[in-house]
Formats: sequence, structure tokens, C-alpha cells
Amino acid sequence: MASPRGEVLQGTLDLIVLKTLDALGPLHGYGISQRVQQVSEDLLKLNQGTLYPALLRLEQRGWITSKWGISDNNRKAKYYSLTRAGRKQLATETATWERMAGVISRLLGAEGA
Amino acid sequence: MSRMRMFGSRLLGLFRKRGSDANLDAELHAHLDALINENICRGMSVEEARFAARREFGGIEQAKEAYREQRILPFVDTLLQDLHFAFRIFAKKPGFTTVAIATLALGIGANTAIFSVVHSVLLQSLPYPAADRLTVVWSIFSNEGRGPASGPELVHLRDRSRLFEEFGGIWAQSGALTGDGEPEHVRLGLVTSNFLSMLAAKPQLGRFFLPEEQGTFSAKSIILSDALWRHRFGANPRLIGQSIRLNGHPVTVVGILPPNFKIIFPEGSSVPPEMDAFVPFSSNLAQDAPDQSYIRVVSRLRKGATVPQAQAELDSIAAQLRSEFTVFSEQALGLQVVPLHGDVVRNVRPALLTLFGGVSLVLLIACANVANLLLSRANERRKEITLRTAVGAARGRVIRQLLTESILLSCFGGAAALVLGSWAMNLLLSLRPAGMESLVPTVFSLPVFGFTLALSLISGTLFGLAPALGTTSLNLVESLKEGGRSLATARQQPRNILVTAEVALGFVLLAGAGLLLRTLASLLRVDPGFNSQRVMTVRLSASGVKYQTPEANVHFFRELQKNLSANNGIDSVGVISHLPFDDTLPNWYSYYWREGAPKTEQNTIMADHRSILPGYFQSLGAQFVAGRDFDVMDVEQNRPVVIVDENVAARAWAADSAVGKKLNVENGNFVRDTVEVIGVVKHIQSHSLTDQVRGQIYLLYPRAVRAHMALTVKSSIDPQSLVSLIRREVTNLDKDMPVYGILPMNDYVEKARRSARFTSTLAGIMAAIAVLLACTGIYSVASYSVLQRTGEIGVRMALGAKPAEIFAMIIRQSMLSVLAGVGIGLALSIGLTPLLSHLLFGVRPSDPLTIATAGILLFGIGMLACYLPARRATQLDPIAALRYE
Repeated sequence: MASPRGEVLQGTLDLIVLKTLDALGPLHGYGISQRVQQVSEDLLKLNQGTLYPALLRLEQRGWITSKWGISDNNRKAKYYSLTRAGRKQLATETATWERMAGVISRLLGAEGA
Repeated sequence: MSRMRMFGSRLLGLFRKRGSDANLDAELHAHLDALINENICRGMSVEEARFAARREFGGIEQAKEAYREQRILPFVDTLLQDLHFAFRIFAKKPGFTTVAIATLALGIGANTAIFSVVHSVLLQSLPYPAADRLTVVWSIFSNEGRGPASGPELVHLRDRSRLFEEFGGIWAQSGALTGDGEPEHVRLGLVTSNFLSMLAAKPQLGRFFLPEEQGTFSAKSIILSDALWRHRFGANPRLIGQSIRLNGHPVTVVGILPPNFKIIFPEGSSVPPEMDAFVPFSSNLAQDAPDQSYIRVVSRLRKGATVPQAQAELDSIAAQLRSEFTVFSEQALGLQVVPLHGDVVRNVRPALLTLFGGVSLVLLIACANVANLLLSRANERRKEITLRTAVGAARGRVIRQLLTESILLSCFGGAAALVLGSWAMNLLLSLRPAGMESLVPTVFSLPVFGFTLALSLISGTLFGLAPALGTTSLNLVESLKEGGRSLATARQQPRNILVTAEVALGFVLLAGAGLLLRTLASLLRVDPGFNSQRVMTVRLSASGVKYQTPEANVHFFRELQKNLSANNGIDSVGVISHLPFDDTLPNWYSYYWREGAPKTEQNTIMADHRSILPGYFQSLGAQFVAGRDFDVMDVEQNRPVVIVDENVAARAWAADSAVGKKLNVENGNFVRDTVEVIGVVKHIQSHSLTDQVRGQIYLLYPRAVRAHMALTVKSSIDPQSLVSLIRREVTNLDKDMPVYGILPMNDYVEKARRSARFTSTLAGIMAAIAVLLACTGIYSVASYSVLQRTGEIGVRMALGAKPAEIFAMIIRQSMLSVLAGVGIGLALSIGLTPLLSHLLFGVRPSDPLTIATAGILLFGIGMLACYLPARRATQLDPIAALRYE
């Protein structure tokens, strides 16, 4: 990878957000970006200009819902959580991703050999 | 599913914008605060933490913009923004907005009105079931096209044709409803049993005729129109099955036609659109005399059959009939099939298409005018647009904004046009000539609405695009620096071209309208062969039980004539079976031949036959070419004498004198009679003011008695004052006699001019609008150029130019484009006016007088339009003008 702080691949962002919410339960936008950064050990960095529109898009598709709540440091924050449709979508996308990743890694392995 | 949901959510987003903007703001700030918090925890100072967080977060506004684009449909959002802005711009310049909208309303409204006529008359099918397969079959005789069929002819057609589904026939007659209440004249249609079902889906009440009701030798059943049923029988639903009296005989009412039922037949087919009642043919059509042609035939093609195929079939049937029957071969019978709709509109189509072409020119002129307005507005707005471009607005975005403005403007114009159009529609309806029976008086129909909308969008783009492209292709630095002034002269160029175009198009319209108006003037001057001034006409139906003998009829009309003539102010009274230009009664025309003509010359030439009493020619001021009028002795002795017009005389005896010769004519009801010609009159135009359709034969009333007659009362006083007098005299003689159609003879003549009046009035209105628009266009360009050249004029004056020179300079500059327009218009008119030739009468398409007048008129109007701006230029104060910069 040319840059260690890689831009998130188009299409994988949805999967990342869905998976994060699945793993950690309701989270606000800040929490999601922190978590992604943490898990990727700062390799992936979500641009806010990408994250919030993506959250809105997922909400418009009915995969996540949002609710205003109070954050740990006592501030008003918008919490996102996975819906039933979102869970289904996550399963589909995970499967697709794994299939894709398998194909790619096999391809790369074959080339390397 | 989720896609639909996304679209719905985005659509909703358009309306929830304000609230969710605040929400987004809160959400993003919460995020930012959290970042700051974390940085502080890592040991940064508050300032540092805030700075670092901002840097990490990136542009808040960019994030918001990206979010917004996801939230709503960006296209609609931009559109709403543009519309919002456009509204503000319009509100700021109410004068400009009003003028632009009014101009467009005129241009589009004229198109809306004409299109609604074109749509309802030419495009929409007739209001009949499977109307596209309805056709008319005309019989062609040796010297006559478009003739009716005889009974046997119709029966042969039915038996031999394969490509036609059915044939129906009608013969328009008159009758009288007697019995209870006032006797009433009715327009009676004698029809084949299937005729009504061909033209209406189902009756309002009851049923149509049954096949067995036809040919019973006396009508036993009758179907009434909705109007007659309502006014005479109070819309009584129990009338079905009851017996009423028609011409004194009982008939059973079997059905009521739907409201608005009209018989839309071609002009000149003697089938009036509004008929009161219908009865089946009483004779057995197959046994009619084969040379008695009176049935107007309507037919329906089979599905899939085309008119040319049907025509080929009719040609072969006509050939069979000619070879099998001597009568048909003597007549040289031919058959012609034409689509009913096409035949109905054949006379109005050219006029309508011409008018449609004319209004599109009007719209082009209106667009040019608005483009002109927008160009001057654009000059004023150049700074604003330059600024927008400078701060980063893309050119496409600015063009889009400007186009939104112009299209919004034209949509307003379109809305106003609908109002204007519906008003214009009333005018069109009141001018409606024959052949437009199917005209529906509405502009608020979907196609017309769509047409207006499309026109608005197209014209908005048309007049908006050029200014938009022009304004946005600017050199930013130059125009900011110069404030737009130095480009003024270059910018004047497109405006001058627009003026030239307007004047050229206006020229074409003016020349066309001039020719049509001169046609109308010729029609007003044309001598119809009689004098209609101060002649009152009235129609009478002597068909009741009192008039069973010819003597009773003759007696009644002679007495009435005598009594009326005795009144002061009445000069003469005529009695005739068919008034000139009255096509509500079926025309009576038949073959004639000179006595002793060989068999081959008989049954070849037809003439209109009219039955009269002496006094008719006198009342209409007709001129005798030879011989004498009928006199009292002719009537009393029932002499075998006849009067013919010059047309008949010339055809029968060429150069020989007709007086004293014997002629074979038809005396009504297909009885032939040999009579002596005692006089020859000048032809009296009776179908058209411009064409002598047929010759005329005037029979002596006692020898050709008819029930339905008309009076022509020539007076030395105002004919309107005769109305009550005529009624009184009729009632004195017979209180049961239905009197109807009391109309001045002038009305009938006027009716013959209707078509010309329709086209020329509309063309005149269009030309007036065009000239008005061209005038305002020239004026606005001239005054704008004075405004732009204020500084220059100031310099010139300071250097000693006289006001007269300034005046001449402005006039010269403005008139140059006007003159160019006149030149181009002249060339265009000479090229285009030949298209009008079939609408013209008494004037050539290239009439130099009309075209020269149009040119002089436009030139004068151009001078007038730039006079004021030029004068204003001379009155400029040089000091103020120099400061103007």
C-alpha cells in the first residue's frame, strides 16, 4: 500500500460501519471513527466528510437507526444502532467480502508461486 | 426496495432541510468536542487541542455539503435555490417582469388559442364510435362531383362491397309536429335504420331503429333529439312508446338521442348539424327510381381496410353498375370515398394551418422581444454574474441559473397565456365558420395544456439561451475593470439582429394579413346578383292537415303576400323555396335538358331548382337579362312557364336566345315537366360568393308546390321593425302556422363571408400583435442604445454637434436594422404569400400595393418607435452626460 493511512475503499465503508455497530452496539459517529482507527492500528482513518454521509445513506436504506442520547462525557450525541435489516445486510456483505477476499488472495498466491 | 426508500427519504429531505441542518451541526460539533477532549487528555493545552482537532477533523463545511448531497436530491435542491433566486430577481424588477410576462402571454396565448382550434377540429377524431373508419361515399355524375346516391345505388353498394362494414344514408327534410300544443317546424332526418347507430354509441333513452322499420311506406316510429325532447316534451322519460303527431300522422317515439348529438357532415352536403327528429326511410330503397339521387351516404370501412383499397373496390362496383344498368351508364356514374373527418375539414384546414403558421411567427417575435429585454437586463447584471464567476461559480451553473430564470418567466407567460387563450377562444367561437362544427370551446384540455407547457419551455430556452451564453462568456478582469461600458457597442450587435428579425417576421404577417383583409374587402364588394339591403326573410312550413292540396298552399302564400304588401313601408314581397346561402334545407337540384335533346344529353347537367311566386326577383332586385318575370296570370292559369339564369340559358342554347324555348325540368318529387322559358335572370350566388356552383331554374310555385317556403320582404323602413308585423300577418291568416328563422337577408350573405372574415380577422389580430411587439422591440433597443451612448453623445455635444445631428445619428443607427428587416421581410413575403393563394379572392398573392403598404407601415412604425429615444438624446445636458460615465 502506497500510504500507510489508506483511504477506505468505496463500498467497504458500509461493511466497516455495520460490523463496528454489530460488535460494539449503539455508538456515535466519533465512537465509530475511534474504533476503526483503534482496530486498524491507525492504518485506516475515516474522513468525516465520508463517514457522516455514509451513516445517513445507511439510515436511508433502513440498515441502521439513530437516536439522540448522552455520551460518556455528558454531551448530547447521536447514537447509531443496527436494525434487523442491517444485520441481514451485514451477513450478506460479510459473505460477499470473504468470497472476494478469497478470490483475490488465491489470485495473488498463484501469481506469487 | 431499499432504493425506493432512499429516494423517498431524499425527497422528504427537501422539506426537512432546516431542522436537520441544525441536527447535523450539533452532531458534528459533538464529534469535534470529543476530539478536543481527547487531545486535552493527552496533555495538550486547550488551544492546541482545539487546533489539532480541527486539523484532524477536516473541513466542517465540506463535510456538511457532502452530507447534504446525500440527504437530498441535489438536482432538485439546486433547482429550488435557482427558483428562489429567480423569484427575488423578478420581484425586484416588477416592470421588466410584467412586460416580459405580458409579451410572452400574448405570444403563447395566441398559439394556445389557435392550437386548441387545430386540435379540436383537425387532430381530434369526430365524436363518433370508431370515427377513424367513417367515410363518405359521393356519387359522381358526368358534370357533378360530390352528389348524393339513389336508393338502388345504395342497395347495390351494400350488396356488392366487401371492404365496407356498413353503409348508412340520410336525407334532410322538414316536418311539422302537430297535435298537442303549438304546431312546430322540425328539421327531420329521413335515415336508413342503421344510420344513427353508426354515429352514436347508444340512445339516451329507448332504442335505435330496427331494420324492419325501414320501407314500411309510412313512418311509424320516430327518434327525437335531446333538445326537442326537452323543450317540447319537458324531458318526459315516459314519452318512449307514446304516440305523437308528425305532419298530422301518428308516430311512436322509440328513442331519444344523447345530448350534444350532432351530425357533422361536410359543408354543402345539405345535412344540417342540428336535426330535431329522425324517421326511417318509408320507401323501399331498392325500388326507388335509380335516377332519383337524394341520399347522403356515410360508410364505415372494415378494420384494416384502407381508403385507397376501398376506392379501388368502389371503382369496380361503379363499372359493374354502368355496364349492367342503362340509367347508371347514362349518368356516367362514378363513386368516390373520402374519410368523413378529412372531408368535413377540407375547407377549413388550409385556413387553420395558415393561421397556425402565423401564430408561430408571432411567438418568434415575442421571444425576440423578451430576448431583447433579457439582453439589456444581462448587461445590467453583468457585474453580479462576473462576481459570481470570480468567487468560483462554474459557467454551467450560472447558465443554469439564467435559464431557470427565463424558463420560469415563460412558464408565468404560459399560465397567463391559458387565461388569454380561453378568452380568445370565445372570439374564435363567435367567428367560427362552417366546417368547424366539432370545435370544442375549451383550452383547458390535457393536450392544449401540454402544448402550452411545451411551448413555454421551448420559448424560455429559446430566448434565454443566447443572453445566458453571451453573459457568461466574459473576460472577468476586463468586465470588472470596465464596469461593462466598453463592451457596449459590441453588445449592441445581437440586439440589432433581433430587431431585424422582428421586423422581417412582422412584415410577413402584415403582408399576409393585408392580403386576407383585401380578400374580405373584395367579398364585401362582390355583387351576389341581388341586393340584400333592407330585406327581411322568414321561413314558413305549410305542411299541416290544412295543406293537403296544392291549392291550399298556393292560396295561403298568395294571400300572405297580398296582405303583407298592403302595409306601409313594404315595397315588395317574394316567396321562394330556398333562400340564397341558406343550407339548412336540403338543396333541390336536378337534371335539365332542352326539349328535343338526344338521349345522351339528358341526365347530364344539373341546376338548382327553386319554386317561386312573382315578386321574388323584385324583392331582391335581381336583374333580367331577357324576357319577363312571372305575373299574376301565369299563377292563376298555372301556365307551363319557367325562368332560368344566364348559366342555364348559355348551356342549353349557347348563343341563341333562350326566351320562348322549351326546357325539361323537374317539378319536385321527381316529376318531370316541359315548360317554356319566359325570362332569363342574372345568376344569383347562392352557395358561395365566389363560385357559381350551378345554374338556376325558377319554377312557378303552383306547378311545383312545396311545404317549406321562405318570404323575402323588401322594405323602405328598418327591416327589424318588420318582425312583429310579419308574425301578426301570418297568425291572422293561420294561427297554427309555425313561423321560424326571421332573419335579415344580410345575415345569410354575411354567413357566406364567415370563413374569410374568420381568417382575415385572426390574421389581422396577429399582425397587430406582431407590429405592437416589433414597435416595442425597436423602441427598447433605441432607448437602450441612447443610454449606452450617453457619454459619447455628451462628448459630441461638447465638441459642437447640433441636436439635429444627434437626432439623425440615433435615427440612422436604429433604422438601419429596421430597414434591413423590411428588406428581408419583403423577400420572405414574396416567397411565402403564394402559400395563401387558395385563401385569396380578388387579390393576387404578390399584390404590390399590399406588400408596399406593409413595408411603408413598418418603416413608419420604426420611425415612430425611435423618435422618442432620439429626441431624448438631443435633450441630454452635455455636462450631465459626460459625468454619466
